[in-house]
Amino acid sequence: MIIRQLSLHNFRSYSDAQFYLAEGLNVVVGPNGIGKTNIVEAICYLSRLKSFRGAPTANLIAKGTQSAVIRAIGERQGREVLIEAEISSGRSKVLVNKQVLKRTKDLLGALQVTVFAPDDLMLIKEGPSGRREYLDDLALALDPNLEPTFSSLDRTLKQRNSLLKQISYKPDEGELATLDVWDKRFAETGEKVVALRRSLVADLVPLINQAYQRLTTTDQVVGLAYQQSWDGELFEAVQKARELDIRRKVTTQGPHRDELLITLNGFESRNEASQGEQRSLALSLKVAAHQLLFQRLGEPPLLLLDDVLSELDDDRAVGLLNNLPKGQTLITSATEIPNLVVPDNVITEFDSLSEADHG
Amino acid sequence: MSAYAKPVEVLIDELGRLPGVGPKSAQRIAFHLLKVDAVDTQRLADALQDMKRLVTFCDRCFNIAEDTAKGVKDREVIDLTLGDSDTSLVPGSAGKVLCSICTDSNRDSKVICVVEEPKDVQAIERTGGYKGLYHVLLGVINPLDGVGPEQLKIKELAHRVAAEDIQEVVLCTNPNLEGETTSAFIASKVLAPFGVKVTRLASGLPVGGDLEYADEITLGKALEGRLTMS
Ligand SMILES: [Zn+2]
Repeated sequence: MIIRQLSLHNFRSYSDAQFYLAEGLNVVVGPNGIGKTNIVEAICYLSRLKSFRGAPTANLIAKGTQSAVIRAIGERQGREVLIEAEISSGRSKVLVNKQVLKRTKDLLGALQVTVFAPDDLMLIKEGPSGRREYLDDLALALDPNLEPTFSSLDRTLKQRNSLLKQISYKPDEGELATLDVWDKRFAETGEKVVALRRSLVADLVPLINQAYQRLTTTDQVVGLAYQQSWDGELFEAVQKARELDIRRKVTTQGPHRDELLITLNGFESRNEASQGEQRSLALSLKVAAHQLLFQRLGEPPLLLLDDVLSELDDDRAVGLLNNLPKGQTLITSATEIPNLVVPDNVITEFDSLSEADHG
Repeated sequence: MSAYAKPVEVLIDELGRLPGVGPKSAQRIAFHLLKVDAVDTQRLADALQDMKRLVTFCDRCFNIAEDTAKGVKDREVIDLTLGDSDTSLVPGSAGKVLCSICTDSNRDSKVICVVEEPKDVQAIERTGGYKGLYHVLLGVINPLDGVGPEQLKIKELAHRVAAEDIQEVVLCTNPNLEGETTSAFIASKVLAPFGVKVTRLASGLPVGGDLEYADEITLGKALEGRLTMS
């Protein structure tokens, strides 16, 4: 989908603002704190119903107001599409072409985005949860029908942990019987999620190598390995760990403990790669996901680069932009972008409410 | 903070405690009630009180049931104030209160359909295709809300299966995580020892959906094509 017009009402720093976007490369230039990232965040929200920077929904609503509205008018396969989101402290709602969506998964897929942000470096540098989320988000973007599987796993884990907190050190028969039922459900959904992640990893290996080698003009080999945190069948592993789980009051076995190991020429990237290599790896992960979405869905996702070019030298910046499938792109930058890139549209006017929000 | 008269604030607070009523709706309802005639608010107040006084849960299946004994007693009080002393017709409180389905001799008493809430009984009754009895759990297993099997009418279901001549139990909890888990618990941990036939609604209901919102045809079909669990 191509966005032609984006309107924000009481969203973060914007009381009322409208932005017109071109089909190709859009560049948003302005000083830090003016609200550039908020534009990226708003577009992202329409795609995923959450902030790409992990902010709580309440933070998206301008201070002193009840609700925020994001409206995007766009075009998909020659037909006009209108996506509206009303974010409120109670229940938020989303409408596509004026029809209220009943479930999250009905929205997923309407607007696909890929975001690059300085935080992406965390994908490599931080713990495994970001890497699991990377895989899960990609799986969902490729097939929104998987949403119930992921939310069910998440909720089963919460329910099981909640039960573990309630049962005593010497659980009675009833408690153990209830735990059995949650174990079975958790194992079934958990095995499904792991199978999905494994097949994604296999698809990503060639794409990430291609992306990394083009970006860095080296022939270093990137390795991706899915590391399962338990042996054998998940149901048996969970049952075997029951005593430990009851003592620690938390589920110790399962896909929420797995790792996606990323190596560079065989060395673990998290601890042994240089900062520059880590940055290139993080970018390559995103490029690979973007390429996979493009291959499978037939149109490139809307590309959002939030303050990323400043981290790269001109050669790498141009290398990145030239190696991405051509679709609608929005770049935010505090400084002018490299001369070799010619924008179709430049946004420099911000109708901001305040400058309190970062961006 | 107290922008409104105290009684209005109390009402807004009470309304706000109802499920699905946020502070804004509570305000809107309160101000609406402020404007309507006293007769209308009295009718609402009476309806609330009567429901609480006259309606209770069925002692057998936990569906809602009208407590006729109480109703007659209340009328007796009114009669006395009117000076009418003929109260000899009051039946003794026979102990157990049963719902209209449990007392209907045309129902198939060998089949029990297990549901979460009384409103699910209504949803299934609307399909017109089910002729057996019900058992209402009054909730689902939900550790996040602190609800375990012991807070539900699961023990009572086991007692019924043991005491009554039951041939089939149909599990009709909602097709979401907690509903499925509750059904799995009942099938594998509660009913298995009895050797009774246990069935589950056939698929066709939207996953993550609510029985209440399933249309009659879909729900009717799901009931017809139920699957054997054990
Ligand atoms: Zn009854």
